[in-house]
Amino acid sequence: MADRKVCILGGGMSKWGVREASIVDMAQEAAKDCFDDVPVLKKEDVDGLLFASSYCGRRSFQVNAAPVIAERIGIKPTSMCTRVDTLCAGGSSGIILATGLIKAGMADIMIVIGGEKLYTPQRWETYYSELASIDHDWDGAQGIGLPPPFFSMTAQEHMKRYGTTKEQLSAVSVKNRRNGLNNPKGHFQKAVSLEEVMASRPIAPPLGLLDCTPVTDGCAAVILTHEDKAKELSDRPLVYVRGTAQVALHSMSMNWPGEDLTDWVHLRTAAKKAYERARVSPDDIDVAQTHDCFTISEIIEMEDLGFCKKGEGGPFVESGKSDFGGKIPVNTDGGLLACGHPFGGTGIRQAREIVYQLQGRAIGQVEGAKIGLTHNLSGLNVEHTILIYGREP
Amino acid sequence: MTVLGVPILEGLYPSTMDLYPLEAKEFNRIHPFYENLRQKRFTTTKCKKCGSVPFPPRVVCPKCNSDDLEWVDLPTQGKVLRFTEEVAGVPHGFEAPLIHALIDLGEGRKLLSRVVNCKEGQLKEGATVKLAVFDIPAMVVENRGAMEERPRVFFAFEPVK
Ligand SMILES: [Zn+2]
Repeated sequence: MADRKVCILGGGMSKWGVREASIVDMAQEAAKDCFDDVPVLKKEDVDGLLFASSYCGRRSFQVNAAPVIAERIGIKPTSMCTRVDTLCAGGSSGIILATGLIKAGMADIMIVIGGEKLYTPQRWETYYSELASIDHDWDGAQGIGLPPPFFSMTAQEHMKRYGTTKEQLSAVSVKNRRNGLNNPKGHFQKAVSLEEVMASRPIAPPLGLLDCTPVTDGCAAVILTHEDKAKELSDRPLVYVRGTAQVALHSMSMNWPGEDLTDWVHLRTAAKKAYERARVSPDDIDVAQTHDCFTISEIIEMEDLGFCKKGEGGPFVESGKSDFGGKIPVNTDGGLLACGHPFGGTGIRQAREIVYQLQGRAIGQVEGAKIGLTHNLSGLNVEHTILIYGREP
Repeated sequence: MTVLGVPILEGLYPSTMDLYPLEAKEFNRIHPFYENLRQKRFTTTKCKKCGSVPFPPRVVCPKCNSDDLEWVDLPTQGKVLRFTEEVAGVPHGFEAPLIHALIDLGEGRKLLSRVVNCKEGQLKEGATVKLAVFDIPAMVVENRGAMEERPRVFFAFEPVK
């Protein structure tokens, strides 16, 4: 059988925030929202489930969660039913894997659900558990599990090397919180001013509270299938998965590969691969959801994704080039800074937003968007994952 | 000592909540690293076949797959390239400011490590820091029903006074 072309049919989300709900509850909410988005699809025709969650094993005491979720949402997978863990990129990993399985004819219709229940009854455990998210024995034991210290050093380096300012960092937060204003599913629907971001409570200077994505509970879901089935099940414009890449280069704390902390070699490698596979260049991308876990992250991503030159990410964001009406609108649904970041859910939230954008039904619509990109960095910058979607295969 | 909500854990060692590595030889083939650390030596494995010296230590060479490795010493002093002081949201078990630095150990080796015995605002880029070894809570190994305590040490770096 020749390779099949793979489409995302639709997507859904649970409400994201500090949720009075379990991971299993929120997976059901996301799946319902997603099934509601593709009303013609019969549940019994879904033959596969990938569930992207890193922390269900630790914070919900539930490993091998995929069969549990399958049972709760009422599907009986016959092709694949597996949990995926790539921390912040888990959802994107799930979409890439589902694409591969469907492309190869090993599955026909798959639902990819992802998300986390990060808040525990006592907050100490919420933060303490973060120490499991990187190399436990070497980094966790140094208290490096939480990412602000690493990104603080990265921001300092970028400021020294390229003259990036605190105002430019803050501009990312102002833009993304404004983009999230009308997104009812996100964690925050409140705009913040430049002054508020600049003056926000220091976490790891120069990063303050409003430079950081919050800790968030939530799940998201998308349904993928092959082109023929997609035409059968949906009247909407088809959205194809055109090209993907995931690059993991090193264990962060000991083996940083770049010349300095702002030199994200592995992101550039992932971008080159994904653009090649999608047969596009950075200039072809109409809308992007990139991993704004910290304001500095989005600035460096603009550079290493090729949207601007190295070192010019600060002015690029500050001058509105990554805003609506600019060169490339980025994080149109609010990004991590407004939506929050339940790790395994984020790549799926981004995919959902890109599908809505390319189908012309996003809350903040980029007019005529035909090619979209999603990007995750995961762990302490150990992996970069990129997917490129298009109205044409 | 009771554990709220989980009374069955009374008197038991919950290793999955242990912040530090399970350093005991029963659980870890690189236990010599910790034994050397106790002697204030900062060590890793060197491949006898291809000469590769990765850190952290391995049981198999990541370059050539040889498992014929030997323990060698790494420098215990370095220079601070960049550092950060985390003042809020510090994980349980650590105190603010939680200081981390990217340290140049020389020979092309950089390391991200915690810096201890240092007040907020005291550290400077370019400062020399040295290995600091300290006791951490013992872990427990069950041996024929008996709970044996195994003392442990861990490391960070500290300013050279
Ligand atoms: Zn070797």
